[in-house]
Amino acid sequence: MTTTRSALAAGIDPAAEAALDGLLLSMADDEFVIGFSDSEWTGIAPILEEDVAMSSLAQDELGHARALYELLSELRGDGRTADAIAYDREPADYRHARLLDHGRGDWAMTIARRYLYDTADGARLEGVAASSFAPLRELVDKIRREERYHVMHATTWLERLARREGQPRDRLLAALVELAPDAATVFTPLEGEAALVEAGIMAEPMAALEARWRATITPIFVGLDLPMPPAGNLATGRTTHGEPFRWLWGEFTSVRRSDPEAIW
Amino acid sequence: MTDTQPPDRDVDAAFGGDGRTLEPWEVFRREKDGDPMRHGGSVMAPDAVLAVHYARELYGRRQESVALWVVRRADIHDLADPDLLQPPLDRSFKKPGGYVMRDKLAAAREQSGQAKPKARSSRPMPTTDKADR
Repeated sequence: MTTTRSALAAGIDPAAEAALDGLLLSMADDEFVIGFSDSEWTGIAPILEEDVAMSSLAQDELGHARALYELLSELRGDGRTADAIAYDREPADYRHARLLDHGRGDWAMTIARRYLYDTADGARLEGVAASSFAPLRELVDKIRREERYHVMHATTWLERLARREGQPRDRLLAALVELAPDAATVFTPLEGEAALVEAGIMAEPMAALEARWRATITPIFVGLDLPMPPAGNLATGRTTHGEPFRWLWGEFTSVRRSDPEAIW
Repeated sequence: MTDTQPPDRDVDAAFGGDGRTLEPWEVFRREKDGDPMRHGGSVMAPDAVLAVHYARELYGRRQESVALWVVRRADIHDLADPDLLQPPLDRSFKKPGGYVMRDKLAAAREQSGQAKPKARSSRPMPTTDKADR
């Protein structure tokens, strides 16, 4: 805990402040990492229209990440900018869900990951939509209006891959198998979560949000005859990042690291 | 899976396209409330749902539209026959403005030896010459 608190932190229960920091960082890192992963399709998507669509979704996510990092920067009030938080950390210090740690893979992998993430993110956003922390509540209200389309896009593709026998369905099933152990990691419990719920910053603990998420996607998975993600071990869901992320980190920090003092 | 019914038949029925091949869809957009729909362009898509997604990305994601229509190009009935649209005979009497009088008036003036009236703005208030218009 810093000795001088930012103006933004002043109104927050001190017990919840560190946990709020963790919540914002995890949300921002999630959006940042999936945004970069999906931007890898720019220029190589199957058709021009999908190229534009996927690139646009990726840009949306980076925009959400920026807004969340800015909020975090303001909350911390330590002079570190959103860019510094986004780019100037070692790979081990990122707190995105392990679901987003897998390499880009094929189109089915991208769709499976997007669907699992977008629906989980939707449940999490719902959990903070009525947050007592007004800046987060106001931001989430805008983010949710864009995320609605993301879920539509991911669902549209999930249906098409799942219903088309042969390569589309086979590849989707393979992707879901690979992602299964990490599918629910967006709901990795946050340190100090109870204080967030107590302060009304989050409506419910992550475990309850996960239950809501499962209730939302179960009819879709049953309808498409897809295997529901099993309950995973969430203990290290945001802290152990593998080789594919280290590679992605090298990519997205390469320009920043080439001249850390540069002014853009 | 029986061999009488392709396993993917429900896909085609469900999504409003053949789902396998890309085809062009025409996109109409309304720029602001009260404006008419205007043709914006087209997208390629395998079915209607994706066509709407792509139309949104290409014609709506920068807040340039308040509404979109997406129509399969194959569903548009085409008429471009010049005999039907640009008939060779004078059909100007069918226009809401009636006959085009300019040529007939010019011919009448020439016959009577009368000069073309000057522009109205260069003379005093017109009084008696309305009959020839």
